[in-house]
Amino acid sequence: MPLYNFKQMHVVPSAAAFIDIVLSRTQRQTPTVCRSGWKISRVRQFYMRKVKHTQQTWHEALTQILEDFPRVDDIHPFYGDLLNVLYDKDHYKLALGQLNVARSLIDKLAQDYIRLLKYGDSLYRCKCLKRAALGRMVTLMKRQAASLKYLEQVRQHMSRLPSVDPNVRTLLMCGYPNVGKSSFMNLVTRADVEVEPYAFTTKSLYVGHMDYRYLRWQVIDTPGLLDRPLEDRNTIEMQSITALAHLRAAILYIVDISEECGYSIAQQAALFHSIKPLFVNKPVLIVCNKIDVTSMESLGEKDQKILTEMAKEAGRLGLSGAFLEHSADGYKGSLLSMTTLKEDGVMAVRNTACDQLLEHRVEAKMKGKRFGDVLNRIRVAMPNSGINPDRPPVIPSSVTQAQAMDEDNQKKTEKDLQEERGGAGVYSADFHKHYLLENDSWKYDIMPEIWDGHNIIDFVDADIDAKLEELQQEEEELLAKFERQRAQFGGIPELTAEERSLLEDIRARKAKIIADHRRAKAVADNRGVIPKKHNTDGSLNTSGMRRSLERMGMDPSLAVERARRQSRGRSADRSRNASSRAAGAEDEEMEDVPEAMKRVHSTKSRSMSRGRSLSLMAPKKGSGLKDVAIKNKALKMADRAQRRMNKLARRGEADRHIPCLRPKHLLTGTRGIGKNQRR
Amino acid sequence: MATRSQFENSSDIGVFAKLTNAYCLVAVGGSENFYSVFESELADHIPVVKAPVAGTRLVGRMTAGNKNGLLLPNTTTDQEMMHIRNSLPDEVVVQRIDERLSALGNCIACNDYVALIHPDMDKETEELVADVLGVEVFHQSIAGNVLVGSYCAFTNQGGMVHPKTTEQDMDELSSLLQLPIVAGTINRGSDVIGAGLVVNDWTAFCGIDTTATEMSVIESVFKLREAQPSAVVKEMRASLIDSLV
Repeated sequence: MPLYNFKQMHVVPSAAAFIDIVLSRTQRQTPTVCRSGWKISRVRQFYMRKVKHTQQTWHEALTQILEDFPRVDDIHPFYGDLLNVLYDKDHYKLALGQLNVARSLIDKLAQDYIRLLKYGDSLYRCKCLKRAALGRMVTLMKRQAASLKYLEQVRQHMSRLPSVDPNVRTLLMCGYPNVGKSSFMNLVTRADVEVEPYAFTTKSLYVGHMDYRYLRWQVIDTPGLLDRPLEDRNTIEMQSITALAHLRAAILYIVDISEECGYSIAQQAALFHSIKPLFVNKPVLIVCNKIDVTSMESLGEKDQKILTEMAKEAGRLGLSGAFLEHSADGYKGSLLSMTTLKEDGVMAVRNTACDQLLEHRVEAKMKGKRFGDVLNRIRVAMPNSGINPDRPPVIPSSVTQAQAMDEDNQKKTEKDLQEERGGAGVYSADFHKHYLLENDSWKYDIMPEIWDGHNIIDFVDADIDAKLEELQQEEEELLAKFERQRAQFGGIPELTAEERSLLEDIRARKAKIIADHRRAKAVADNRGVIPKKHNTDGSLNTSGMRRSLERMGMDPSLAVERARRQSRGRSADRSRNASSRAAGAEDEEMEDVPEAMKRVHSTKSRSMSRGRSLSLMAPKKGSGLKDVAIKNKALKMADRAQRRMNKLARRGEADRHIPCLRPKHLLTGTRGIGKNQRR
Repeated sequence: MATRSQFENSSDIGVFAKLTNAYCLVAVGGSENFYSVFESELADHIPVVKAPVAGTRLVGRMTAGNKNGLLLPNTTTDQEMMHIRNSLPDEVVVQRIDERLSALGNCIACNDYVALIHPDMDKETEELVADVLGVEVFHQSIAGNVLVGSYCAFTNQGGMVHPKTTEQDMDELSSLLQLPIVAGTINRGSDVIGAGLVVNDWTAFCGIDTTATEMSVIESVFKLREAQPSAVVKEMRASLIDSLV
C-alpha cells in the first residue's frame, strides 16, 4: 500500500481554461432570462444569485487544488525534501499561497458586490454590478496564470514519481555514476531500469520490489553522486541525497574496483567518507563491483587498504552509531564483491544486505511497546508430555509415493472438461461419476424420491435384512409363547345360546344409548344442556319443573310451554304446529283469553304500507301475472322494446357523462411561461 | 504443500470446502475452477466430492468430520445425504445429528483423535461426536470465542489458533490435543482460521489473500513438505517479527 498517492490529484487547469470553466458553469446552472417587467427585488435576487454562484464555483475549485497538493511540512520528510529538491519548496508554497489568497479575495469581492446589489435600483444597474463583480474575479484569476501553470507541471511530475514507502524494508544503492547500481537493480528485481555505459544514465529514483525470506523488499536505485560540497550538487544528485538521508534502508555503497567508471578507488572512498554522516544508524555494505575485470587479489596494497578502511567505517556506522572497537577482521562482513556482468556474487550481496537490515529492524522493534502483543505468535506451544506416538498422521501410501516420485502428472480435471464443453455456465458437471458403489453399473440408476407416498430414504437401511429377521424371530417367539399359554389354560370356552342372546341385548342397548345421546346432542344445538352427572336420576326435566312450580303455587303452563318449544329443533313440523296452534287458538282458547288481548290484523296492516326492505329480494320479473304463458309474453315484449335502443348504442342515463370536455374557464386567458396547468 | 485458492472471489475457502484425511467435500459453485483446485491435488488419493449441504454451499461450516465419519446438520436433505453416502467409502460413517447449533463446522474442530466442541453443545451430540468420529471430546473455547471450529484448525500433526490466544491457553490446548500449536492469522491478517484454511495431514489450501509469511507458518506447523514447527521460532522469527510489529 503506497503511503501517498500523488496519482489521484486532479488536473489544474490553465488560467484561461479555468475562467471558461467557471463562467460557463455559472451560465449553465443559473437562470438566464431577466425581464424588465419584474419587480426590482426579483431582479436583484437574479443577479445576486449569479455573483454568488460564480464565487462558489471558484471557491470549490481552488479548495480542491489546495487540498490535493500535499503540504511539504506535513508529509514524510523524505517526500518533503524530495519535493523541495525537485520543485523548490519556496516556489511551491508561494504558488499555493497565492491561490489561497486569490480564493479569499474572490470571497470578499463577492460579498461586497452582493451588498451593493442590494441597493441596485434598476435592472441596468444591477446588471452592471454583476458584470463588474464577475470581471474582477476573472482579472484576479488571470493574475494566477503563472502559479496555475507551475502547479500543473508539478502535478504531472508528481504523478510520475515512484511510489516509495518510507517505512518498509528497503535496499538503497549509491555510489559514483556508472559503477553498476542499475545493473544490480535489474538483477535482483524485475524493475528493468535503463542501463547505459555513460554517466548519469539514471536521472531520478527508481523503485523495484523483490521477495526474500517471505517478506517483500523495496529496492531503490539512485542517480550517481559526485564528490563535491552539498551546495554544488545538482537536482539529480540531490534526489540521491534525500533518499539516503531519510529512508531507514540498508545502504549498498557500490565501488567500481576496475576504475572503468572513470574514478579511482581513492576518489570513490573520498566520496564515501564525505557522505558517511548520512549512513549513521543504518546497515552499510561496501560492495566491490566489476571483479570480472579486476579481481580483489590483484588490487594494489594501497587500494586494498582503502577498501578495508571503508569497510571498517561501514561496520562502525551500522552499529547504532556507537563507534565500537572491532576485531581485526570484523570489517569482512561489510566488504563484499560481485560482478553484475557475470552475475557472480550478486545474490550473496543481496542476502547479506537483507539479513543485516532485518536484524537491525528486529532489534529496534524488540525494544518497542508493540512487541509484547505478538510474543504469542512467535512461539510454538509443545505438549508437556511430548507428541503422542499412538496418534500417527494418517497419510495414504499413494501420497507418499507420489511425493517421492515428484512427478507432475497432468490429469484431466473437471476444469479442463468444462473448458472443452462450453465453459462455465454451459457445462454441467456429472455428480454421479465418482460414486463408490458395489456395482459400477448402478451409478446412473434413477432413484425415485417418493414412491407410493413414502419417502424412499426412510426405508433405506443397510441392516434392513438383519432387522427384519430379528423382528420375524421375535414375532414367532411371541406366537409360540401364546400357544403355550393357551394350551396351559385350556383356551377360551365357547358361549352358550343363552349367553349369546344376552350379549346381543347388551350390545343393542349400548348402541341405543349412544344413538340417543348423539341425537340429543345434535338437537340441543348450542343451548345449555344439563350434564348427565348433575341429573343422574333423570328428575330434572320439564315435568319435574312443572311439579316444583305447582308446589310453590305458580302457574307453570307458560314456562313449560316455552321450555318445550325451546327444546325442539328447527324443523318443518315446528312451524306447522305453530300455525295449527294459532288456528286452534281461535276456537279452543276463545273463551279463556280476554277480547282486548287479541290482536286482529286488518288488510291495511302496517306491513302493507311500508316500502320494501332493501334486504329483501326484488320481485321476480313477470311475477304477479296470471299464468306462465302471460308472464312469458310480457317478458318477450319488454325485451323487444329494449332491442332498438341497444342496437343504436344510444347513450343512456347509466352511462358516464362529461358535460364539457374543454371548459372555457380553464383554457382561456394569458399563459405566463407557456403552461396552462396552473390550476 | 499449501495452495492458495478462492471460491467465487471469496478468500474464505474454509466455508466452502471440508477436507479430512479420507475425503474432501467441495461446494457446488458456478464453475468447476474451485473444485479442480482440490481435484488436481487430491483426486488420486481420496474422493473429492461436490455436494450441497442443507441446500447451501457452506459445506465447510455446516459439516464436521474426520477419516472415520462425517456429521451433517439436521437440515440436510435426504437426497444430499444419499449423494454423500454414495460418494464416500463405506468405512466413513455419515450421520445426520439433531443439534440446535446446526453450523457444525463452526462448533466442532477435530482431527482423527480429538475433537474440541462448543461449550453449549448437548450431551447427546457429544456422545454422537465421540461415537461417529471415534475421538475424545472436550468442551473448549479459543481466545474467549466459543466457536472453536471457526477460530482454530488442527490436523494430526499440528494446529493453528486465533492470533489473540494467550500463551497459557496455547500451552493448555497443546497438552489437551497433544500437538504443537501456534497462534497465527490467515488471509492477510484474518483471525478466522477455520474460514481461511482447509488442511489435512499432507496438504493445505488457504485463501488467495494469504501472505508468504502466513503460508510458511502454516507449512511448518502442519509439517507439510518436511517443514518442522520449530522453524517458527528459528528461521522465520525475524521475518515474523518484522511483519507483525
